Parts: sequence; C-alpha cells; structure tokens
Amino acid sequence: MVIVENGYIPADLAEALKIRGEQTVIPYAGGTDLMVDAEDHAYLFLNKVPELKRISEDETYLKIGAAATFTEILNYPGTPEILKAAIHYLAAPAIRNMATAGGNVSNASPKADSSLIFYVSDTLLKLASAKGERILPIEDFITGRGKTALQADELLVEFLMPKKGLENYYYEKVGARKALAISRVAFAGLFNMEGERITRCAAAFGSVADVVLRFRDFEAMMIGLTLPEAKAVKSEFLAKYDQAIVPIRGRVSADYRKHVCMNLLEDFLTQNGI
Amino acid sequence: MSGKITFILNNEKVESNGKPSDRLLDVLRNEFELTGVKCGCKEGECGACSVLIDGVLANSCVVALGSIHNCHVTTIEGYSKTKRFEVLSKAYANFSAVQCGFCIPGMVLASEALLSHNPHPTEAEIREGISGNLCRCTGYNAIVHAIQKAAEEGNGLW
Ligand SMILES: Cc1cc2nc3c(=O)[nH]c(=O)nc-3n(C[C@H](O)[C@H](O)[C@H](O)COP(=O)(O)OP(=O)(O)OC[C@H]3O[C@@H](n4cnc5c(N)ncnc54)[C@H](O)[C@@H]3O)c2cc1C
Ligand code: FES
Ligand code: FES
Repeated sequence: MVIVENGYIPADLAEALKIRGEQTVIPYAGGTDLMVDAEDHAYLFLNKVPELKRISEDETYLKIGAAATFTEILNYPGTPEILKAAIHYLAAPAIRNMATAGGNVSNASPKADSSLIFYVSDTLLKLASAKGERILPIEDFITGRGKTALQADELLVEFLMPKKGLENYYYEKVGARKALAISRVAFAGLFNMEGERITRCAAAFGSVADVVLRFRDFEAMMIGLTLPEAKAVKSEFLAKYDQAIVPIRGRVSADYRKHVCMNLLEDFLTQNGI
Repeated sequence: MSGKITFILNNEKVESNGKPSDRLLDVLRNEFELTGVKCGCKEGECGACSVLIDGVLANSCVVALGSIHNCHVTTIEGYSKTKRFEVLSKAYANFSAVQCGFCIPGMVLASEALLSHNPHPTEAEIREGISGNLCRCTGYNAIVHAIQKAAEEGNGLW
C-alpha cells in the first residue's frame, strides 16, 4: 500500500477493503466522472487492484471486474456483442481507455450506457467489504438517480453477466452526448424462444426516467406465448409501457424521448416476428 | 509506505510534489513545465491534453495524479524524440494538417496510440481513433490523410 497525503493506492483487494472500512474515502476507478469537477477528495485508487481488473468466465457467467476499463472489456474475446455494441457508442477511445463499468454503474445515471445492458441481461453485482460479500441484481443496487445501495465500507467488486441467450439482441442509442444530449435515448432488448414459445422478451430504457426502466411484470405477459399469441396481445403490451413510462415532468424533450422509446420497443417486437 | 507520487515521465523517473487528487494535466504543465500538453476543456471532451499512460491514450485533465503512480507517462515532448514522431510530423506537414496547432500534440499522440495497436488502419478506424480529439481548423480530412500516409511511409515502424 502506498499512502500519499490523502490518497491511498492499495496493492490488492484486501488492502482496498481495509482502507474502505477504516477511512472516509471516495473510490476512484477511471476518474472520468470524478475528475470533471476535480476536488481535493481523499481517493482510494482502484485502477491497479488486480482482483478488480480481472475479466474471466465460467459456464454461467461472464465475470467483469469492476475496475476493468471499457477498452479491456471490448478486447476480451468472451464479451458478448450486446455489450460491445453499447461500448462502441460510449465516448471516444481515450475515455474508454480509462472509464470502467464499475464507475459507470456506481454513478447511477439513467444515461449510463453499460447499466442499460446490465439491466436487460439480468446482471448481478458483487459487493464486498472487509466483513464479507453480497450479491444483488442491478435493479436493487441502483436505488435512484445518483443513488446506490453501496454501504460506506463496501466496494463494487464484480459484474456477473449471465452468458446464455444474449445473441439475439436489439440495441439503439439515439443522439450523442453533447450535440444531441437533449434527445438522447437508449434502448436494449433481448428476445429468446424455445421451440415455438417465447422464453424471454426483456426491454430496458435509458435516459427516460431517473433510473433505467425495466418492467418485469409486463415482460411476463409474453413468456410462454407463441408468436401468433404474442401478436394478439401486442397492443395491450405496448399500451402498458405507454402508461408506465412517465417522462420526467417539466421537460419538453421528455415527451419526445418517450416517443422514441415506444417506437424502438415496437420495432424490437416487429423484428422478432411480433 | 508513505511518500510521493513517482512515475516515469518521458523515460525519466520523476517525483511529484502534487497531491494525489491533482489533475495530471496541471501537474504536467505547472510542475514539469510540459506545455505541449494543452488545456482545452478540462472535461475530457477535446483531447488537447492527450498523453500516453503505459502506451494507452488518455485525457490528462480527467486523470488524477494518484492513479498513475509507477506508470510510464509520455507527452509530446518525449514522443517528439522518436522516429515514429518524425514520420508523423512529416506526413502532417505534407498534407498541411497543422493550422493553429492547438490540437496537434494531442492529435499526434492519438495517431501514435492508433498505429501502435493497428499499423494499417482503414479510414473509418482512423476517424474513430481521433474521434476524441477536436480540431477547430482543419476539418479533419487533412489529418486523416496524414495518418494514412504515415502508416504507409512508416512501414515496419509500428
Ligand atoms: C468526455 C466524456 C464522455 C462520456 N461519454 C459517456 C457515454 O457516452 N456514455 C456513458 O455512459 N458515460 C459517458 N461518460 C461518463 C463516464 O466516462 C462513465 O460513466 C465511466 O464509465 C465512469 O467510470 P470511471 O471508472 O471513470 O468512474 P470514476 O469517475 O472513477 O467513478 C465514478 C463513480 O463511481 C464510484 N466508483 C467507481 N468504482 C467503484 C467501485 N469499484 N466501487 C464503488 N464505487 C465505485 C466513484 O466513487 C464515483 O462516485 C463520459 C465521460 C466523459 C468525460
Ligand atoms: S482539456 Fe482534457 S480533454 Fe479537453
Ligand atoms: S489545427 Fe487548430 S485546432 Fe486543430
């Protein structure tokens, strides 16, 4: 461990968790969100902690260390196309070289491009403190705009992304960060069938509300149906989303963003034969 | 262990008096007087402050000093002593790709970062490679052509 004034540079995860438990520090991964309004914070530097940089996989999960950069994720051979597609639209190479998935998700912005993919793919997050570990779905981790369930002694350690059924994806990001920021919307969908029946019809929406939106109870309507049966309930399905997505009040562009979302959702269904 | 942030700056081991939370950009310009590292936005948007950290392109305005302890940092001042720089510099000159020059140190380091990973990039790959480096003067085409030329001329260097 190297300590310079109020900065901590741990050599491994155990050291990082120890400091996190004992000191008031701000975890620093890539710095691309933190440094935009650089202040003299006490940082806990995670960018060289080997356990947090690791990307690996087992039969079920792609395991992405929280401090792996987007460039490293993009270059990992086992990274699914849906995640690559989102990273491809995320900033320019110099930012992707530093920015991490852990920082993206911890920031809890509804615009975070990788969060959207983790929502739609049922990705689990592993958190750790010096006392132990816990695993929770991303929906439970992000509790509001800029708010997470992370405790003061915890770090986000790893993403567990279920590998199965990610091939047939739908991803669209409309509008760029700066020029068209006001109209920016992102949508991700995953659709799977087994034989004649739908087994997954997942849809997630970025930038329309305080958090990424996903409605599991609506998705459940489609599970087990055949395509003709799904067609028959399509308008009812869309109407539910139309009712549930309430654009952030007072912003003219919000209606427009919702409109784009509904079009993308419909296109996602149509492309899958519904 | 407690002490100072040390790193290898343009192949020389250095120690900074800065705080871990200082912007690398400010440390390079103010403490080490490397003014080829330009400051255009301090928000990671323009690329004028580009440096290479362990060979990887980064915007030094959104990098905290504490994150580069023991890393290799290359600025345009160090890079301009290399053969690769000569090839790039000649190519930029041939295509009149340098006008006011403000973006150029960053642009050249972005070119290096691209060519070191991909010695024969397509035009689209070049445009992607410099997509974080804004140029107000040239409209980019001259720069893209210069990088294409450098890739040809520098055959074997990258
Ligand atoms: C020019 C520019 C363009 C951008 N474009 C996009 C874009 O297109 N799409 C997009 O989604 N984002 C974009 N961003 C935002 C930013 O790059 C991303 O959100 C990035 O993923 C943040 O990761 P980081 O590692 O840099 O985070 P940091 O700045 O290091 O940290 C962000 C937050 O996460 C916390 N944190 C980080 N790691 C952990 C951990 N392991 N455990 C607990 N807390 C942690 C930090 O304390 C901090 O609160 C852009 C930023 C810039 C400057
Ligand atoms: S000054 Fe760093 S990107 Fe503009
Ligand atoms: S030459 Fe002037 S900004 Fe690029």
